[in-house]
Amino acid sequence: MNLRTGEGGRGWVIGSLLACLVVAVPVLVIFSSVFRSSDGEWNHLAETLLPTYASNTGLLAGGVCLVAGIVGVSTAWILTNCRFRGARMLGWAQLLPLSVPAYLSAYAMADLLQFSGPVQGWIRDSFDLQAGDYWFPPIRSLGGAVYVLSFALYPYVYFAARMAFQEQARSMLEAGRLLGRGPFATFWFVALPLARPAIVGGLMLVMMETVADFGAVDHLAVDTFATGIYRTRFALESPVAASQLSAMLLSALFLLVGLEWCLRRRRRYHRTGNRGSRTAGGRLGPVASMFAFAACFVPVLIGFVVPTGRLLQLAIARGDARGGGVLAGIAFDTIWLALAASVIAVLLALVIGYAARLRRGLRTAGPATIARAGYAIPGPVIALGLLVPLGWIDHRINDGWTIAFGDDWRPGLLLTGSVVAMLIGYQTRFLAVSLSFVQSGFQRIHRNIDDAARTLGSGPGRSLVSIHLPLLRRSLLIAGLVVFVDVAKELPMTLMLRPFNFDTLAVRVYELASDERLEEAATAAILIVVIGLIPAWLLVGQLESNDDSHRNTDG
Amino acid sequence: MMTSLPQYDPPSVLEIRDLEFAYGGGAPVIEGCHLAVRSGEVHCLLGCSGGGKTTLLRLIAGLERARAGTIHVGDSLIEGPGVHLPPERRSVGMVFQDFALFPNRSVRENVVFGLRGISRKDRNAQVEAHLDRVGMLEFASRMPHTLSGGQQQRVAIARALVRQPRVMLLDESFSSLDTETRIEVRAETVKLLRDAAVATVMVTHDPAEAEAVGDKVSWLDACCRRGESDPDACARR
Repeated sequence: MNLRTGEGGRGWVIGSLLACLVVAVPVLVIFSSVFRSSDGEWNHLAETLLPTYASNTGLLAGGVCLVAGIVGVSTAWILTNCRFRGARMLGWAQLLPLSVPAYLSAYAMADLLQFSGPVQGWIRDSFDLQAGDYWFPPIRSLGGAVYVLSFALYPYVYFAARMAFQEQARSMLEAGRLLGRGPFATFWFVALPLARPAIVGGLMLVMMETVADFGAVDHLAVDTFATGIYRTRFALESPVAASQLSAMLLSALFLLVGLEWCLRRRRRYHRTGNRGSRTAGGRLGPVASMFAFAACFVPVLIGFVVPTGRLLQLAIARGDARGGGVLAGIAFDTIWLALAASVIAVLLALVIGYAARLRRGLRTAGPATIARAGYAIPGPVIALGLLVPLGWIDHRINDGWTIAFGDDWRPGLLLTGSVVAMLIGYQTRFLAVSLSFVQSGFQRIHRNIDDAARTLGSGPGRSLVSIHLPLLRRSLLIAGLVVFVDVAKELPMTLMLRPFNFDTLAVRVYELASDERLEEAATAAILIVVIGLIPAWLLVGQLESNDDSHRNTDG
Repeated sequence: MMTSLPQYDPPSVLEIRDLEFAYGGGAPVIEGCHLAVRSGEVHCLLGCSGGGKTTLLRLIAGLERARAGTIHVGDSLIEGPGVHLPPERRSVGMVFQDFALFPNRSVRENVVFGLRGISRKDRNAQVEAHLDRVGMLEFASRMPHTLSGGQQQRVAIARALVRQPRVMLLDESFSSLDTETRIEVRAETVKLLRDAAVATVMVTHDPAEAEAVGDKVSWLDACCRRGESDPDACARR
């Protein structure tokens, strides 16, 4: 009898199907809008703003992927294969930009580089110039957005490429050299093609984050789909047209994700050799060391040191005048909201992951795939997709109440007017994150353990509680922490779904920065950066342990 | 009265003198090592783990830099004081313990990887000739992971030989094969290397294997690390 296909897991399968509804429902709602009338709003958008949204989003995503790809892959290669003073420190420093959300980076960079900022002010004072006497690249432009987002997001590519380069067997690269290729040709023809699936995975994350970004592009005055959806919903007050815009964006995203998935399946690489011990390559000479250091330090400087330094400077110099009371309250609200969202995300991921482990097949693999797709859905799209069904449920509750108890009092907007909508929205987007950690945790537990527990009389529930949960403790903790941080940083969905008089740190920063009050926003911004350091620190640990496990012990 | 002709003693293709190597600034892994291998000769290196066998191969291949001593291939100094020819310019082939076949390239693409600067027609002809020599021509379009260990080993040999190296290094290249396949593939490989007149250095941990295929056998722990200077002292037939 095959225990994995036994009847015991039926409850888990049903639970898994229900859990994936948090992703499936908003998507279905968005796509159903295609068949609804927008009273001419869609035609108006198609004739005026849609081409701008589409071209800006495409150019932004392409530009960011290109720059982040070059920076991420080259730093990963240098730090995996070259030895020079400071390389180890730079290795973990590459992940620091992850702690600065793109919108914070945009606020700091715009503040520094705009006409009235300190950089241009210094240039004018130093060279005795007036406005119009010189040219300075405008930060509030498509190029400026590419610059800011690339250096905020390149660590995704760096991390994926670094892990892939660390995993490559040393003998593979040495074979390339012995077959007549120089160091660069070996990188280009051997290492890069082998790391391609991982690098493409990292680039897909960068692309999704870019397309989903609202705060940075909004501040840098670049009209993309994300800002378009927000404005169509709240300025034009046309939820149907906004949903139709979202459907268009989602179709393009799903097409790209599907394409990448197909390519990855077709070109699946099988390891033919040992994982191989890896040494960092030869020690570089003084000049080469200097170039390598500069190549790896500049991205950290732009992505972390400069924006954080500016925000810190503003926070110390002025800070939030209402800091004490208001900020503490907002920080408290942010923390309990993020905590609640992360606990729910871990529980849902546990249900989906365990169901997939108990039973293999479409009924369990399907929910896992749907849940993973949630990360590709931009925040504003999720918010729109949730407002419609939750609003409908709220109305039905109120109608039912009126019929049952009369018209004297109504419960009001129970779902759309409370944090419940936000908590559901966070699951739609971040369930994918917790699921990936939970599933990788499950993969590390040999399946014989399940079989042993089942033959000793444990049902699926008891096996999970007494065997799997203790073994998964670390994975669950990391999953919870990463979701916690993602929720604490999240902006567009929070902005659209939050109840009245409910702010998070991200919303507070957005509102103050939008009013050109960055000095006051800086304190909350620094708190977000501090929270954001948690996943960066976790990833550093993962890179270091991966590096240690491949370090050469050959005599 | 008949006089016997003096026996012809061909010059060594690979010659190592007084080689010294240490990782970082640590104690020497290899010290005062001498080795001479002639064309078509198979020289086996025996020794316990950590004895420096693989390190010596890596030094010959140019994958590590010697602290002292010289390595010549033919008349060319490839490693010595102030000289370190990069691996791609040494005319040295190597078959790794894990074969190191590129998993994203087919058998044909693996073998063709080392051929450059010649016409496509010549390239194809050489690849086919070498795959034919190792009996793998019919598998040319297969991906490495679809081959057995013995087949992967043959492809690795063809890939290394197609560049017509003067020295071939075998780093426990048969250890991952089962006994029966190992004996068969080993005999084929050695015959192939002798026919191609390549000077071969083979690392093994199995004395019986060394005796079976080696023209000379060196015990690396006992000679090189101790620094014996006479090559014949650490090489016996």
